[in-house]
Amino acid sequence: MAAKKLRRAQLSQEMCERLSRYQITTCQDFLCLSLLELMKVTGQSYYEVQKLLCKVSRACAPKMQTVYEMKLRKSINPSSAFLSTTLHSLDRVLHGGVPCGSLTEITSPPGCGKTQFCIMLSVLATLPVSMGGLDGAVIYIDTESAFSAERLIEIAAERFPTYFDSDEKLLCMSHSIHLYRELTCCSVLKRIMSLEEEIISKKVKLLIIDSVASVVRKEFDTKLQGNLAERSNFLTRGASVLKYLAEEFSIPV
Amino acid sequence: MQREVGTLPLAPALRARLAAAGFQTAQELLDTGPCGLSKEIGISREEALEALQVVRQECHGDAPRTAGGSGATRKCTALELLEEEQTQGSIITFCSALDNILGGGVQLTKITEICGAPGVGKTQLCMQLAVDVQIPECFGGVAGEAVFIDTEGSFMVDRVVDIAAACVQHCHLIAEAQQEEDHRKALETFSLENILSHIYYFRCRDYTELLAQVYLLPEFLSEHSKVRLVVIDGIAFPFRHDFEDLSLRTRLLNGLAQQLIIIANDHKSAVVLTNQMTTRIGQSQSTLVPALGESWGHAATVRLIFHWDNTQRLATLYKSPSQKESTIAYHITSHGFRDVQPPAVTQSTEGTELNPRKRPRTEGEKQ
Repeated sequence: MAAKKLRRAQLSQEMCERLSRYQITTCQDFLCLSLLELMKVTGQSYYEVQKLLCKVSRACAPKMQTVYEMKLRKSINPSSAFLSTTLHSLDRVLHGGVPCGSLTEITSPPGCGKTQFCIMLSVLATLPVSMGGLDGAVIYIDTESAFSAERLIEIAAERFPTYFDSDEKLLCMSHSIHLYRELTCCSVLKRIMSLEEEIISKKVKLLIIDSVASVVRKEFDTKLQGNLAERSNFLTRGASVLKYLAEEFSIPV
Repeated sequence: MQREVGTLPLAPALRARLAAAGFQTAQELLDTGPCGLSKEIGISREEALEALQVVRQECHGDAPRTAGGSGATRKCTALELLEEEQTQGSIITFCSALDNILGGGVQLTKITEICGAPGVGKTQLCMQLAVDVQIPECFGGVAGEAVFIDTEGSFMVDRVVDIAAACVQHCHLIAEAQQEEDHRKALETFSLENILSHIYYFRCRDYTELLAQVYLLPEFLSEHSKVRLVVIDGIAFPFRHDFEDLSLRTRLLNGLAQQLIIIANDHKSAVVLTNQMTTRIGQSQSTLVPALGESWGHAATVRLIFHWDNTQRLATLYKSPSQKESTIAYHITSHGFRDVQPPAVTQSTEGTELNPRKRPRTEGEKQ
């Protein structure tokens, strides 16, 4: 939204040309300037500039919705609000399971079972909705190379023996789990940014990143000057993209 | 009328031409008239007329201002302000200790900033306030609507439903206890659907959308004149990453603060912002301070800092023009934001139907 070109904000052609001479081409550039600067750049009077500001703001402001509308939309498909973890006490505490449309973080000391939990969630997501799953594909971004396909098959076979009764079903399930091995921060960020198209084409219903901390700790030594800022920069940028993906597609991350 | 030409809100090119032609005051412009003006500086008659209309509007705007009427600069005595402040309501938080240290609740026409570490309850309080602002006047509320601008995406609809249901139930209990006619009438309109449909939600993904939304807010507020609360949940989040130019960030934040102050005053609404905490690395130890820098600290009138003390959540009133600095403990229950009851009371009333952590009804709602 911020990178929206001014042309599409319904400004007149000559105004856009004039602004591009000052390197102001997107809504972001326009809104970052103060009123006096805008007057100088557009050559318009104070009131005209205010009207222009309103026009540009309208082009990139978010849409309004009342909370009631949001609630109605949610109640129309209640089953898609949570991914049940099949651990009843955990589901009770989480009010239904891992919520769709927001980020969930799992932290623990090493060896407690985070990767195992993620593998189990991947199996659950591929199950049909009637069995409590999301009936979709899974994208698994692995930074520690800890994902074991054999373990995946083992969990599926032991946990749901009646469903995964044939090899074919197991193959089908493992086919829908897409694994990406990324070993540096930059590649993780690049992968996250490119996920939008993959989610649509592969009908992905669950996104797992295992784990964010390992790759960040490897690369950013907090004792060095300036690294702290870069690290938080990387983390917040990744977080905002993930939030956008989670909300836009209503999937758990 | 002796206003200099350079200060008039005309286009810069026009102003340059007027200065070159030797015009110095607005009076001279008005005396010349549109035809004379167009001949002297070489612009068309329509443009000259437009410019003169702007000048006339400006000069006429000056006159009532100096007479002390209502306009961009409001002049009134402290007594009038006192009367206004006393009749003005505040938004209660359902935690009486917090209301006490705030002087009755979140004040209207002021900017309140809530800072805290993640998970301490800032968004919970914002959701509670968005419901509480709609409490009818006979129960002690301000009967307004709420605008919720979310930049972090931590707004959960189900949670708001829980909080609103608890609030409605609380008011029903009061109405039953006091049996007054206007209470019953107010309760007819104070239902779950009504509360939810009067919270206007905007989801801003980055700082450009936030800036755009704040520019459009005055127009929105004049259309929905019953709004008494504007919540911006997460003002720090879009400004903390992707900003190489820190001076631009400070400038944008200051502009934002100015606009919010104008909105708070003009529309008589409370503005609540939530901020994150950042670590300031000192000589020997590091402390948690509110994010966005020192200059942002001047933007908010009232500053609340939420923090943990082992497992107890505490709220400290850090900056306020009228109340003294103090710390209280609060609780977040399934019904929302509540007081912490002293241990003896909780044990004895555990078995009753009423939630023991709800604000005691004997304190009642004021008036």
